[in-house]
Amino acid sequence: MPSHPCAARRRRHREAVLGPSRPGAVSGGLPVRAVAGTILDASPHLLVLAGDRGEVRVPMTQATEVWHGGPGGPDALRPGRRAIVRTADGRGADRVWVDIVRVAGTVVACGRDAVEVDMGPHRGRVHVAVPPNVLGRVLVRHPRLEPGYLIDVICVASPDGPRAAHPGTAQPGYRADHPPAADPSAPVPEEVHGTATWFGTGDAGLAYPAVDPEGNAGGCHETPSTCVPLPYVSLGSELTVRNDCTGRAVSIPVTECGCVAARFCDRCVQCGTSPRGRVVELAPVAFAGLGGDLAVGCFNVTVGGAVPGLGG
Amino acid sequence: MLHVVQCTQVLVLAFVLLAASLAKLTVPRAVPAAPHGVRDVPTADDAHGVPAADEVYGVAAPDRRSPLLDRRVTLGLGVFEGCLGLAMMVSAHVSVRLAVTVMFAAATWVVGELRRQGTGTGCGCFGELSRGPVGRRGVLRTGLCTLAAVVALGAPHSGTDVLRQGHALVGLIFVAELALFAALSPELPALLERLGLRPRAAAPCERRRSPLAETYQALHASEAWLSRENVIVSTAPLDVWREGCWRFLVFPARVDGRDMEIVFAVSTAARHRTVRYAVVEAEPSEAPGVAAARSR
Repeated sequence: MPSHPCAARRRRHREAVLGPSRPGAVSGGLPVRAVAGTILDASPHLLVLAGDRGEVRVPMTQATEVWHGGPGGPDALRPGRRAIVRTADGRGADRVWVDIVRVAGTVVACGRDAVEVDMGPHRGRVHVAVPPNVLGRVLVRHPRLEPGYLIDVICVASPDGPRAAHPGTAQPGYRADHPPAADPSAPVPEEVHGTATWFGTGDAGLAYPAVDPEGNAGGCHETPSTCVPLPYVSLGSELTVRNDCTGRAVSIPVTECGCVAARFCDRCVQCGTSPRGRVVELAPVAFAGLGGDLAVGCFNVTVGGAVPGLGG
Repeated sequence: MLHVVQCTQVLVLAFVLLAASLAKLTVPRAVPAAPHGVRDVPTADDAHGVPAADEVYGVAAPDRRSPLLDRRVTLGLGVFEGCLGLAMMVSAHVSVRLAVTVMFAAATWVVGELRRQGTGTGCGCFGELSRGPVGRRGVLRTGLCTLAAVVALGAPHSGTDVLRQGHALVGLIFVAELALFAALSPELPALLERLGLRPRAAAPCERRRSPLAETYQALHASEAWLSRENVIVSTAPLDVWREGCWRFLVFPARVDGRDMEIVFAVSTAARHRTVRYAVVEAEPSEAPGVAAARSR
């Protein structure tokens, strides 16, 4: 998995001072293969994508499920659309998500058929169209669709911007500017349990809510304290992320400050009820590779790491 | 015996109501202290997407996390509870007992809902002391108070009459129930901290916000820095980052005519900050290039 530009150098420097990293406490099975790219060609038997590292060919089977705003068929696999493909172990494509986008952040303004969402300082603002047939489902999970409250919706990309397909997770009951925070003196557990979601369109990396705001660490001063006691790390620090629903685990570098994730103190009920708190937001390929369903939006997660205070 | 138990509940409930009233009316809101250069709460300018964020360090503003923590509501509830507590002491009228029972039953429902919703908001039962999320103990405590209020419905005497009689068994049960109440009260540690009878629990070093100025202060005063200061080419670090309990600073250095880098690791603990260092090759390579002694 590609790492952060600073990761190798910082690891070398850290190990020079503190000694070699101990293996993390979190472990699990290997992730499955997941790829992302623009669709070049699609047939009932083969999907051809233009990925960041060249052309990728993924065999299609009759069991392959396609998502495009909901369960769809092969006709959704049109050239020019962006697809994320998760492969089953040696059996071709298991699931394909077409033009899937996630919008999570704070509601800034609401209209009759659209919502303006602030996704934080790194991701900016976005105008989300909410079709009338989707609004009801969004309101069921987001009863306070008004400025100042959080929203999390799974969308389909369109030329006019993201179009809401269905709610991601249920809306927390508090205002976005007053998220609950863990007791300042609460100790950091060896393994952190909570929920993992996904963000953006990248291949690798994760956003972590407790990136140190000082020096070149890469954090933001305005990130609130999380409701899970998390240790401070920096961009490039590697965390071991395990999907508790599939048992798959992988080490992923921190590539972004999770300013938005820090405001969500919610649960995932993908396999049992997770403890509260968004511990990590994963890049979609990493999320799918760990067995997550991008349309569902979360999985129960355990996070550890090589850094002291996080499973090290 | 039944009358003794009933009369004790009158005293216990009056005590709880008066204590809750006193806490609501007198305990001020704790304003968080910001470390130098660190903001923990978004201001109006940088609370992205949130209109009218109105809380900054040093300025207390109405708390919107829970209506129960709103200052005006808190004061109103405090006065009401104080009146009920005094009424329990001076009157044995059934309307007073019924009012107390209804109030505790309503409080149990509210606290149970806060616990069920799990939004992390405090119940405000003891004003600013009850800012933490509602736990099982809080629900159990309010439920037991409701039970006590039901038992006290049939008590024949007012609180002052019970005190005047000076029954030893009443005193024994009263103390035992207060001990149980204290054990179920998460506000007690907060109260002891405010009174200065217990030191504030320090944040663990992994989670502690450590300003850069504090790190430099610890670094420049350390033996590690003083011993290598003469080989450091520039006091401006090449890289500064943090992992858990350690903040790392990399400085360019010239050792025996060769370009090197000195990596300092400064503890982020509140006290007794240790500093470690290592000298490494300036050119990054795949294999760790520790060139000189590692200091502990």
